[in-house]
Amino acid sequence: MNKVLLEIKGLRASVEGKEILKGVDLTIGRGEVHAVMGPNGAGKSTLGAVLAGRPTFEVTAGSVLYDGRDLLAMSPEERSWAGLFLSFQYPVEIPGVSITNFMKSAVAARRKAQGLPELTPGEYLKLLKEKMALVQMKGEFARREVNVGFSGGEKKRNEVFQMAMLEPTLSILDETDSGLDVDALRIVAEGVQKLRTPETSAIVITHYQRLLEYIVPDVVHVLKDGRIVRTGGRELVDLIEKEGYESIHG
Amino acid sequence: MDNRIYVIGRDYAPQFLRLDAGEEVSMTLVFLPGRDAQLSMEVDLVGPGARLDLAGLYLCPGSERVDLQVLVRHASGGSFSRQLFKGIVGGSARATFDGLIYVAPDAQKTEAYQENHSLLLSDTARVESRPQLEIYADDVKCSHGATTGYLNPDELFYLRSRGIPEAEARHLQMQAFLAPVARRLPDALAEEIYASLP
Repeated sequence: MNKVLLEIKGLRASVEGKEILKGVDLTIGRGEVHAVMGPNGAGKSTLGAVLAGRPTFEVTAGSVLYDGRDLLAMSPEERSWAGLFLSFQYPVEIPGVSITNFMKSAVAARRKAQGLPELTPGEYLKLLKEKMALVQMKGEFARREVNVGFSGGEKKRNEVFQMAMLEPTLSILDETDSGLDVDALRIVAEGVQKLRTPETSAIVITHYQRLLEYIVPDVVHVLKDGRIVRTGGRELVDLIEKEGYESIHG
Repeated sequence: MDNRIYVIGRDYAPQFLRLDAGEEVSMTLVFLPGRDAQLSMEVDLVGPGARLDLAGLYLCPGSERVDLQVLVRHASGGSFSRQLFKGIVGGSARATFDGLIYVAPDAQKTEAYQENHSLLLSDTARVESRPQLEIYADDVKCSHGATTGYLNPDELFYLRSRGIPEAEARHLQMQAFLAPVARRLPDALAEEIYASLP
C-alpha cells in the first residue's frame, strides 16, 4: 500500500479556453484530511471536478498520481471503481431514476470491476438500510427519484449516503456545507466522520470554517487564483476567519 | 380505466375513434425500432364527460422514418383529453409529429393537453414537432408543449462519477426519459423497449 495516496504536480486546467487551475501542487497521505479553502472563483470546485474527471475541463499540464496510478488517464467510472468519490456542490436531479436503482447499478458496476460476486437482493437491501441510517434517511427515501424535489439538506445527505454506499478511499467534499442549516450540517458531518478510517483520506473544499469544526483537518491549503498560496495547520483556519483571504499571500 | 396498447406494425390501431358522453378511453401507441411507420389518428369527443388519455413512444435509433398525425376534436363541452408522446431519435432517423387539438365554438369547459418530447442521440437525426391548437370556445383549459434535446451531460457525469459505465449511464437516462409513458406498458414490453435502445 502506498503511503502517499494522491500526488498532484503542476496541475493546470481550463474551461472553454480560460485557465482556472494555474499550477497546483498537492500531496495527500493515507488517513489524512486536507482542507482546501479559498475565496469564490479561486478554482476550488474545478480542482474537485478535474480529479473526478469531469469532461468539461481540459487538463493542459501537470500530473496526478492516485495510489500510484495515472489518475488523468482514467475515465470517471474507473476513478470511482478505484475508490475516488466526489460529493457534488450541486447534486444533479435525475428524474425517473430511483435512488435504489441508481445505487444498485453503481454498486454492481464497482463489484464487477473489482472481480467481486453480485450482491443478492437481500444483501443489497441490508447494505442500503445500514447506510441510510447513517445519514438518518427513512424508508421511502430509497424509492424517491434521485434528488428530484429534495431540499438542499436532503441533497447533501444523499451525497453522503452515496459516499457511504461506495466506501471511498479518497473523498472530495465540494462545499458539502453550503446551504445547510445547523442540524443538517451536523448530520452530514457526523456521517462523514463515521466513514473515516486510518486508510482513507479526504479533501474538504470549503469557503467557511464551520464544517471544519466537525471534520478537523490535518492540513489546510489556501487556494487563490488557481494556485495554492499557503499551506499550514489548523491555525490557518482561524487566521482566515479573523482576517479573511485578502491578507493571505504566498 | 383499461389501457389499450398498440404496437404499430403488430397490432391494428384504430384510425377513427368517437367518444360519447361519459365514455373514457386510455391508449398507448408504441413504435419499435427498425421499422418505418406512418399513422394518423382522429378522435372525436362528442359528449360531456368523454375522456381521452393518449400516450405514445417512438423509438428510432437507426434510419427509421416515423410519421405521426393526431387530431383530437372536442365537439362537446365538458370533455377532456390528454396526450403525451415521447421519442428517442438517433442515427439518421427522422420523426415527425403533427398534433392538432380542435375545440368547437360551443364546447365550453373543455380541457385539452398535449405534450411531445424528443431526445436526439445524433447530429444527423431529425425531429419535426408541430403541435397546434385551434380553439373556438372561450371558456377552456388547453395547453401544448414540445421539446427536443440531447442527453444531459451533467446527469451523465454524475452517474459515471458513481461508477456507472458510460453506456449503462446513457441507458439509465434514456429509460428515465421514457418512463412517464413506459410505465403504462406491461413489464415484458417495457423490457423489450429498453433492450432495443442503443
